[in-house]
Amino acid sequence: MLAIEKLQVNYGSITALRGVDITVAKGEIVAVIGPNGAGKSTLLLTIAGVVKAKAGSVKFDSRPILGLAPEKLAASGLALVPEGRHIFGSLSVAENIALGATPRSDRDGIAADTDKVLGMFPVLRDRYRQRAGNLSGGEQQMLAIGRALLSRPKLLLLDEPSLGLAPLIVKQVYDAIYALREQGLTVLVVEQSVNRALNAADRAYVMSGGAIAMVGRSSELQGTAEFDAAYFGAGQRDPGRSPA
Amino acid sequence: MIVVQNLIDAISLGSVYALAALGIGLIFSIMRLINFAHGELIMVGGFVIYALAGNPMLVMALSAIIVVTILALGMERLAFRPLRKASPPTLLIASFAVSYFVQHVILMIFGSRPMGVDFLSVLGESFEFAGLRVPRLQCIAIVVTLALMVGLVVFFRASRIGVQMRAAAEDFTMARLLGVKADRVIAVAFALSGILASFVSLYLVAQTGTVSYKMGVNMVLIAFVASVIGGMGSLTGAALGGFIVGIVSVSLQAYLPEELRPYRDAFVFLLFIAFLLWRPQGLLVRRASERV
Amino acid sequence: MAEPSTPVAHNPLHTALLLALILLVVAAIAGFFPPALQRTVTQAMIMLVVVTGLYTFCGNSGVFSFGHIAFMAIGGYTSAILTILPGKKEVALDLPVWLEQIQLPVSVAGPVAVLFAGLVALLVGLVFMRLRGIALPMATFAMLVIVYVVALNWQAVTGGRQALVGLPRTTGLWTGFGFAALGLFVAALYDRTRHGLALRCSRESEVAAAATGIDLERERLIAFVVSAMIVAAGGVLFAHFLGTMTANTFYLDLTFVTLTMLVVGGMRSLTGACAGVALVSVVSEVFRSIERGFSLGGTTIAAPPGLQEIVLALILLVILLLRPHGLAGDWELTLPGRSQR
Repeated sequence: MLAIEKLQVNYGSITALRGVDITVAKGEIVAVIGPNGAGKSTLLLTIAGVVKAKAGSVKFDSRPILGLAPEKLAASGLALVPEGRHIFGSLSVAENIALGATPRSDRDGIAADTDKVLGMFPVLRDRYRQRAGNLSGGEQQMLAIGRALLSRPKLLLLDEPSLGLAPLIVKQVYDAIYALREQGLTVLVVEQSVNRALNAADRAYVMSGGAIAMVGRSSELQGTAEFDAAYFGAGQRDPGRSPA
Repeated sequence: MIVVQNLIDAISLGSVYALAALGIGLIFSIMRLINFAHGELIMVGGFVIYALAGNPMLVMALSAIIVVTILALGMERLAFRPLRKASPPTLLIASFAVSYFVQHVILMIFGSRPMGVDFLSVLGESFEFAGLRVPRLQCIAIVVTLALMVGLVVFFRASRIGVQMRAAAEDFTMARLLGVKADRVIAVAFALSGILASFVSLYLVAQTGTVSYKMGVNMVLIAFVASVIGGMGSLTGAALGGFIVGIVSVSLQAYLPEELRPYRDAFVFLLFIAFLLWRPQGLLVRRASERV
Repeated sequence: MAEPSTPVAHNPLHTALLLALILLVVAAIAGFFPPALQRTVTQAMIMLVVVTGLYTFCGNSGVFSFGHIAFMAIGGYTSAILTILPGKKEVALDLPVWLEQIQLPVSVAGPVAVLFAGLVALLVGLVFMRLRGIALPMATFAMLVIVYVVALNWQAVTGGRQALVGLPRTTGLWTGFGFAALGLFVAALYDRTRHGLALRCSRESEVAAAATGIDLERERLIAFVVSAMIVAAGGVLFAHFLGTMTANTFYLDLTFVTLTMLVVGGMRSLTGACAGVALVSVVSEVFRSIERGFSLGGTTIAAPPGLQEIVLALILLVILLLRPHGLAGDWELTLPGRSQR
């Protein structure tokens, strides 16, 4: 579904990604974890066409997509829920959701999918006509995910979906992600919260300093010394501190 | 009575300013371009009417609207699209260049002297109403402006592209991530600004009966002020700003001492500077709304 | 697109010296030109003074000013009032008696005018420099309109809509050269000060500059006053070059032309300012002569007026598109063997 090879991205003279290789198979949930500044968000923004790559290749459905405009990628089945959610605060919840369906023109399908999203996040139904800017953080996150689903994506990119949310809301968000996987959606999720990500994902990549430090099945990664070394840097483990 | 008379003057002038400011505000909200060349859209509309003098009124008006809209689209395609990633000051300088270019193309064709046009001069006549002298043109300006504003509101609320434009104005990158076509929303914004500008042309030509290659400059300066006062990026703000500048201009004209009246515009711009110091982000925009 | 670079490490005085030498050669050659062409070169020298002034503020701060031509007007009008024959002033203007009776040589009136413009810039700057972002260019724009409206209507002092005539026409080729060179050295001296350095550091980010302890308001104010005084000197020169003053001379068209010179050459470099003035002046002169017409096989062909401006606008657009930092970018002319960037 997604194949990234030797991806390199620079911001001016700073290298943000230095040769990243990632593959995501159809129906998989893959997590990219790593500390702040590891280049995780840059990775997603590059896949989605917002940030320009310097070198390397990204294939989506075996088609090279580097250099394509974000709106083209959205129309071809890729959806990004960026960090900080970026809902349109001055628009209503209904308008935000409808915007998710921008690439589509099948009225009935859109109506059905809207209903499905509102079923998944009932709180959005209650606030359907309100300004999205008045929603709480958790509700905004649900709106952002729901809006992304309206394009019927094949691949969903999620950037820090649990950031700044109460544990109960985080659970609700992740339950939604599991449910989506059951329906065959492929998900690439970026997280700082290691446990959360490892529990949710089939496989995980550990990123550090703009490169992939480690990769493996989630169940195998957790708690190993190599993982700790890759995530925290060698010899810096502080057992008393939670990595989130 | 004189107060009511002034109020009518203020509202009609304000409605024309509001139309001009909406054109500027619309483009700014979508692509952070302060389009100085908006004045040239207004000016070219005037020259279309001049060139078609003698034809039926509707032909002149429709031609002006069509030509100006095409010109607006052309500006976007040829000058502003290639510069889309440039910073706001660079864009402003570029719009200066476009403005200077269009002005002198018109100068080349029609010469530099102002020329008289007979367009809707019947509207210059006034009718008496409850003891007030109301020029018909003023009434029509108010009615047309209100109609255009209602049209805009409906467009932005009810049409798909309208909602997409509001989304793009708030967060352009996110809108594109959802599949909103950047080229399309920007082109539509320019087309709308062209339509708004052409209505300002119709009013200016009907009111002054002359056209000149510099006729857009004053209007665009006022429209700038109006859109900044309302809050760059807020369309409601631009309209509000237009009415405020209209009211301030008419009040200054009415209540300044005789010998200071020629300096009216200087006072308008002085008040504008004071306003910038007080609330640089404008009336209807919250401070921390800079786009990331 | 040129990479944003750190402030240049070369010595700006060397650059000014080299540029002044080039100007000297140009002036010496222009001495052999026919009078009309000589006047064109003189005018280019005056424009260089103005653009150097603009560079000092816009180039170092990264903030566009649309209002500096107002300082040209202030300098020009002040010098005009101080130098025109009292008899002529009595007829054309309505000044207080002491101002009407005063008549100074340009060598005294000029510096007085420049100081006066500097004072105005200080007062205006104290208010304006509190503004951030796009509000500051907006305010400078408002200042231009205000000064224009006042100049256009203040019959008693500026002559209003009538041209103010009878200024001593003292600006010639060598005066032009002298002040162009002086302007370059003043700008270079400012660049060298820690104020110039601090301001250039603030160019990329207002926030970052504030975080490093730079007093942005003060640094911008200093540059604003220095640049206004250089521009005002250009205004004085221009007034005594034309011999007449009209409000319309100092408005949007001149603002556009000088900003074009600055941007085309590259507003982050003194060399760029000179290159911009040179290019725009040459192009203007060429198209002006085409507009005047030339004979080809017995018939005179003349381009319609307006062509010159159209070409200028196109040049500016192309430069913005292809080289947003102008022809020179951050590059400066330096002495051989020391060419660091």
